[in-house]
Amino acid sequence: SKRWCSEKMTRKKNDRPNEAPLKWEWQYVQGPYLIVVWIMVASLAKILFHLSYKVTKIVPESCLLIMLGLGLGGIVLAATNKPEYQLDPNLFFLFLLPPIVLDSGYFMPSRLFFDNFGAIMMFAVIGTVWNSFTTGFALWGIKMSGLMSDKVDAGLMDFLLFGSLISAVDPVAVLAVFEEVHVNETLFIIVFGESLLNDAVTVVLYKVFNSFVEMGTINVHPVDYFKGIASFFVVSVGGTIVGLFFAFALALISRFTKRVRIIEPLFVFLLVYLAYLTAEMLSLSSILAVTFCGLCCKKYVEANISQKSRTTVKYTMKTLASIAETIIFMFLGISAVDTSKWIWDTALVLFTLLFILVFRAIGVILQAWVLNQFRIYPLDKIDQVVMSYGGLRGAVAFALVILLNGAKVKAKDYFVATTITVVFFTVIFQGLTIKPLVKWLKVKRADQHKPTINEEIHERAFDHILAAVEDIAGQSGYHHWRDKWEHFDKRYLSQLLMRKSAYRIKDDIWDVYHKLNVRDAISYVDQGGHVLSSAKMSLASMPSRTSFSENSVTNLIRENGSGVCLDLQVIDTVRSIRDREDTVMHHVLTGNLYKPRKRFHSNYSRHFISANEQERQECEVFQRNMRRRLESFKSTKHNVYPTKSKARHKRDKSQKKKNNDANDTIPNGKPRRNISWQNPAPIAVEIESEDEENDNSETEKDEGITFVARAADEVFQERTPSSNLDVCQSPCVIPPSPTCAEKELPWKGRQGDLPACVSSETTKIVPLDMQQAWNQSISSLESLASPPITEIQLQPTLAELDEFPSPGPTPLHLARFQFPDSTLTTQHNSDDESPDSIQQQELQPLVSYERPSWLGQSASSAGTRWPVQFNRASRVSLLKNLVSGSTSNLGGQSSSSQTDL
Amino acid sequence: MGASHSGPDTRELRELSEKTGFSVDQIENLNRRFQQLSKNKETLRREDFDKVTDLDVNPIRAQIIEAFFDKRNYSGMQTGPVEEINFEQFLTVMSHFRPLKARMTEEQIASLRKEKLQFLFNMYDIDADGKISLEDYRHLVEDLLSRNPHLGKESASVTSIADAAMLEAVTIIKGQMEPHQVYEGMTFEDFVKIWEGIDIETKMHVRFLNVETPHFCK
Repeated sequence: SKRWCSEKMTRKKNDRPNEAPLKWEWQYVQGPYLIVVWIMVASLAKILFHLSYKVTKIVPESCLLIMLGLGLGGIVLAATNKPEYQLDPNLFFLFLLPPIVLDSGYFMPSRLFFDNFGAIMMFAVIGTVWNSFTTGFALWGIKMSGLMSDKVDAGLMDFLLFGSLISAVDPVAVLAVFEEVHVNETLFIIVFGESLLNDAVTVVLYKVFNSFVEMGTINVHPVDYFKGIASFFVVSVGGTIVGLFFAFALALISRFTKRVRIIEPLFVFLLVYLAYLTAEMLSLSSILAVTFCGLCCKKYVEANISQKSRTTVKYTMKTLASIAETIIFMFLGISAVDTSKWIWDTALVLFTLLFILVFRAIGVILQAWVLNQFRIYPLDKIDQVVMSYGGLRGAVAFALVILLNGAKVKAKDYFVATTITVVFFTVIFQGLTIKPLVKWLKVKRADQHKPTINEEIHERAFDHILAAVEDIAGQSGYHHWRDKWEHFDKRYLSQLLMRKSAYRIKDDIWDVYHKLNVRDAISYVDQGGHVLSSAKMSLASMPSRTSFSENSVTNLIRENGSGVCLDLQVIDTVRSIRDREDTVMHHVLTGNLYKPRKRFHSNYSRHFISANEQERQECEVFQRNMRRRLESFKSTKHNVYPTKSKARHKRDKSQKKKNNDANDTIPNGKPRRNISWQNPAPIAVEIESEDEENDNSETEKDEGITFVARAADEVFQERTPSSNLDVCQSPCVIPPSPTCAEKELPWKGRQGDLPACVSSETTKIVPLDMQQAWNQSISSLESLASPPITEIQLQPTLAELDEFPSPGPTPLHLARFQFPDSTLTTQHNSDDESPDSIQQQELQPLVSYERPSWLGQSASSAGTRWPVQFNRASRVSLLKNLVSGSTSNLGGQSSSSQTDL
Repeated sequence: MGASHSGPDTRELRELSEKTGFSVDQIENLNRRFQQLSKNKETLRREDFDKVTDLDVNPIRAQIIEAFFDKRNYSGMQTGPVEEINFEQFLTVMSHFRPLKARMTEEQIASLRKEKLQFLFNMYDIDADGKISLEDYRHLVEDLLSRNPHLGKESASVTSIADAAMLEAVTIIKGQMEPHQVYEGMTFEDFVKIWEGIDIETKMHVRFLNVETPHFCK
């Protein structure tokens, strides 16, 4: 890139002012243009590779990229007659390597890493030292024995220098290959951890030998060797400290980004990159710095930043790393074409290859033997084979060899050629064969399953048990210290580095639970009602329902209630459908109800004008249900009259209140919604009906709906339309209108229209003395999906009923019963004296009338309802988290402002 | 050998070693610890565990200590708690945490696995009815979360986590349940099923037991 830049500058100077309307400004954009084009090519190549599943299954991507690079390099060479592009070491170390290391450090499973820390350190330090010295000495021996060409002008120090750069296992190459192989975690973490942590050793050895070579062997004093050893500790410990410092800073900063969520992800990258640059600046191990920075900050940063930022960080990191990796491998290929840089010596190449393989294997076997004396879970033979074979060399070695000073290191060109060959051999040949090898050796693969709450609970319990056993046995082993550390972390560190809200709910089990919940919710919405990961939370099928005491349930609702509850209930009402575990219902729902999830806003700002065909169809649905309901209603009508006026009074009050503050909760701390149900105020009916209406219309439009969307809807409606509704609230005011055209009256525009219709129309259908009950039945049914129509009015449109796609709407209504029903039960239990609740009880038959028998059963017994309730409670907490954890347009946003965690 | 004054003699050591799978050195070490905890008495009581100060911060301390006094964890078929345990019983409980031997047949591993799981199961099954009921599970989760002052108290999260876990377990074991089917609790077979994905035999062990002479005897 530097070259491009300089070219650009020179050409820019030579430019003459040009008066042409269309200017050719290639020089101006050349630099960035080329970079972008290269990235484009690399990314397109990736797409191409992955078009064929067969190819990528066999050949690792890194191999393909190198080959592509070779091809492109060849083309460029043929076209320009000079090798144009090179993997520039500066570019590599400053820009390409950091994202890959960051990605691997940040997403490194820290627990696994520290569990195997001993083994990793051993391989990284002792293994690398062993490899570089043995390779260096052996090559020197070959040179002495005269097998190598005399032209290779190198002494012992040169070979040791070469050995140091060629011996380091490369994180990029290892990651690229091992990611696709899926060996078991332990094996992976050891090889990969080694490749990251050996950086310090490599850097030190490289620098020490390089300085020795440049000083000349004669000038090296014994004290320099000790300096070399000392500098190892400085470089590695220093790099780690730099990393930890920046991790701490990053965690601390992320604690205070609540108001500026948008730059949260930026901080992660900035500080980690700063750590990298700082370490480079101090000539410490930058890879170590970034690895530890990423490793250590993750826990706190993830807890502090928002869900969206988390996703952003994740994707940006992965994207950057992927691009960097692609470019590295491609440029490796391209660089290899540049024959002017290297001179081939067969003996050197062959012996280097032989030595790095053999000594790696010997080193692994020796170290594994030592480790197995201490490891509880030994590294067996197969693991050792894979570890030896997985020692891939990569771009780090190449960049280091390019950086050699050709004037001092006479054999540089030979070393370059050898390095390129070694890198190509390890990446291509070993990369290609490692998969079959792993398969052939039956290496234990990683079991990739989603985390389950059970597992998390058990593993947590496990840690404590093991720590306790160590304590009881009086030995401070690994578990003991880990337990101690966790305790310290929880007591002090987390408290310092985590937001209060995050710290409060920071817990592994809780995290898994939360994650599963969110995943379920997402998949639920994505699937339009189907929940794939089965009954993670569908506590309807919860077995020991007897143990849910009524008290705890109501308490739960109270605790979790208030604003967010709205969202919750929306989910819950829909969810409870699933809870019935009726597959037929599922089919109906997915077939007819919820499909995609956007388009909410069109509904949100929908004007009454758009109410047309669909609404007519809704009318029909409503009519059918109404008629049925009316029939059943007749049996229960008597008991409801006395409370009518009172209820209405209440309703007016609650309405006013709503106007004041939509999200207010009533004094007893219960969510507003519950109250609405309790006092069968029309407003509640309206909310529900509007809600439902939206549902239906969306159903018809096939637009789909999400709980998010609906939640917003609800909140909105609670606030705004009530004033509108006042107009038509009183049943007696409005004379019966002959048609359902009423809904198109201007005063009913926007959201308030249909519900208003509902209440006025109800009066028409139901005799005055039944109205209260009627309202109740509606509210409890929660199924006022559509503008109501009297029976008389029904007649003309009845014909259209047939046009209606048959199974959809009816089940929808059935589904709707569940929610109010369950709430009623709650109500009933919390205050029995309420006449309303008695009414509701009376109305139970009516409610269950339309259910299929399986629904009816569960509805009729309070006991069976509890699980649903319970489920709801857990929903609340989920939603709380959802809402507080994200800035998404969750509907509950406005309503949740009070309950923000 | 013979470092402890009231410890078992060589023959007893051998027997214990055969029974529990510990090496003689390990047994001696553990015996020293046992003496230390019990103040050189023959038996160990619950109160003696209070002296292990490191245990204080352990959220599931009670269950773990109780496991030492649970008859189910000794070889016999009896159930119920005991008041005090002797060294052999102490050793038997400890032996559940002994790591895998270098060479073990599949069967041995399987039986070891079952043994370890049984121990865990007993620990979770607080009321010793052979089933981990929802109550038991909640209790466990509550204890686990008790370190967190905010989550632990919030019974909603505890119960919902426990319930979700239980439900998940039920789903794994039984698949979908009928609405009215009642699931009383995990039996041991169910418990084994849940653990299928986790190779407990490689996890449930404590390193020090493998070391011949531990240095940190307090």
